[in-house]
Amino acid sequence: MKNDEVEILLVEDNPDDAEMTIRALRKKNLSNNIIHLNDGAVALDFIFGTGQYEGRDISKKPKLIMLDLKMPKVSGIEVLEKLKSKDSTKTIPVVVLTSSKEDPDIQKCYKLGANSYIVKPVDFDAFQNTIAELGLYWLLLNQPII
Amino acid sequence: MKPLQQDDDLFRMLVERVKDYAIFMVDTTGYVTSWNEGAENIKGYTADEIIGKHISVFYTEEDIKSGEPELHLKTAKEKGRFENEGWRARKDGSRFWEEAIFTALYNTEGKFKGYSKITRDLTERKRAEEKLRDANKELAFQNEVKEKRAAELIIANKELAFQNEEKEKRAAELIIANKELTFQNEEKEKRAAELIIANKELAFQNTEKEKRASELIIANKELAFQNIEKEKRAGELTSANGKLKKGEDAIRKLNKELEVNLTQIIDVNQELEAFSYSVSHDLRAPLRAINGYAQMLEEDYGKSLNAEGVRKLGVIMENAKKMGLLIDDLLTFSRLGRKQVQKSPINMNKLVESVLIEISKTIQYKTTLKITELKPASGDYSLLYQVMMNLISNALKYSSKVETPLIELASEDNGEEIIYSIKDNGAGFDMRYVDKLFNVFQRLHTTAEFEGTGVGLAIVQRIIKKHGGKVWAKGEINKGAEFYFSLPKK
Repeated sequence: MKNDEVEILLVEDNPDDAEMTIRALRKKNLSNNIIHLNDGAVALDFIFGTGQYEGRDISKKPKLIMLDLKMPKVSGIEVLEKLKSKDSTKTIPVVVLTSSKEDPDIQKCYKLGANSYIVKPVDFDAFQNTIAELGLYWLLLNQPII
Repeated sequence: MKPLQQDDDLFRMLVERVKDYAIFMVDTTGYVTSWNEGAENIKGYTADEIIGKHISVFYTEEDIKSGEPELHLKTAKEKGRFENEGWRARKDGSRFWEEAIFTALYNTEGKFKGYSKITRDLTERKRAEEKLRDANKELAFQNEVKEKRAAELIIANKELAFQNEEKEKRAAELIIANKELTFQNEEKEKRAAELIIANKELAFQNTEKEKRASELIIANKELAFQNIEKEKRAGELTSANGKLKKGEDAIRKLNKELEVNLTQIIDVNQELEAFSYSVSHDLRAPLRAINGYAQMLEEDYGKSLNAEGVRKLGVIMENAKKMGLLIDDLLTFSRLGRKQVQKSPINMNKLVESVLIEISKTIQYKTTLKITELKPASGDYSLLYQVMMNLISNALKYSSKVETPLIELASEDNGEEIIYSIKDNGAGFDMRYVDKLFNVFQRLHTTAEFEGTGVGLAIVQRIIKKHGGKVWAKGEINKGAEFYFSLPKK
């Protein structure tokens, strides 16, 4: 998969959740240009063309970032903060993924400029529907302001 | 003739030696022909200097200009004699006051021969006269002044005379006033007499007071004794106070310890909340995987499983979902521990209405609801919404198996608080276990009978306690249950 074709960047440290998410997107034919990174530090490298992604053409931006909050090293909150503080990346839609609606970070996410958040439900059907709906909404219905 | 000649010489000597008078001869045209000592004394010229000079040298310049010397000589010649006084000049230019007598001289044949002149220096007298005159003038002026003053005095006198009259009038008035004062004096004397009587009365009263004073002295002694007693008592109180203070210190110490304990409890509480949140958060991920992968298995390989395999997969998924619900309820319950109650007036009828709308979205029920107009509450809307949601859901659930389910909602004002009740005609419960109803994870029914996590009523109790109210329940197996909660009015 070429970098410049990336439509969805999934940042998720839990491989099971990642697999379920990709499966849900695939069911709606949204998984063709998806890249999955499993921590925040790598995600920042990818977006800003640093570290292992040094030299990547960073003008090719993902159309949607799905971001898990609870990750080792660099948390989702920190990634979001960096994305939304830079003019070059702050227009990329970010959907925050969380395990619980009680997460105290949810309010912080909205303040930082997250576009939506999804509580990953235990119920697999509900989970699939929610992921697919959001992916569709941001990729197909919502024209990015780039 | 000789003796006569001798007499003439003597006479000349006499004349020449006279010192106080100037005596000399002047010829017909006014030139000096003889001179004596007196003339020298008075006028300052010696005989040698003056003989042959004209008499005008004796006059002042002004007199010379007005022709005085000629006039004097002419007058003396015409009348035989001329007396005159005036200021004349000495040789040195100084002035003196001269009294002079000119006499025309004739010889025996009657021929005019010249003049004799006798002069006295009267400067001193003249000066004295002038002084006198000045003094007179001063006196005259003073006289005038005095006359003016006299006139003024006359006017002043008149004024005084007028004032005298006024004073006499006033004196007359004073006499009248005196009489009045005399009368008043008499009155005062009468009054004094009365005062003497009054004084006697006071003296009597004084005696009485002295008696009273001696009584007071006795009373004072009594008070002094009582004071001593009080001091003793005060001493006792002071020592008691000391003991109290010690007690107070102990209490303060205990209070501090309690404060420390409270801080620790708050810390522990916060840790517990963070822990329960973290646990429930992390428990969800594996559950999600269990459920998700079970479903993937069913989707992808369902066809190669027999009915029993599919059923068992279903059980796995059911349990995973149930555990998810448990975790959600537990989260809600733990969140209540840190939520602040924000009280406001609440229309309970509307609150119940929106609860029923929410319930009807997920459950279909055939229950009859009987709601008696509910009294308004004072409380936190979202929390009381949760209470009603749980109680009504429970009532619906436990009455769902009877033929004609009935739920009744009512309220009652007992003065200080409002009591709300929710009754159903469902499964009810055994009153022996009523204490367990409101504990977390405590259930009086099996999951097979009625689904549930055992957290709903614990949440209800926690919310109502946070409002300062109480929760209680009555029930009987298969007859129904009654749940009550009370809310303070303020």
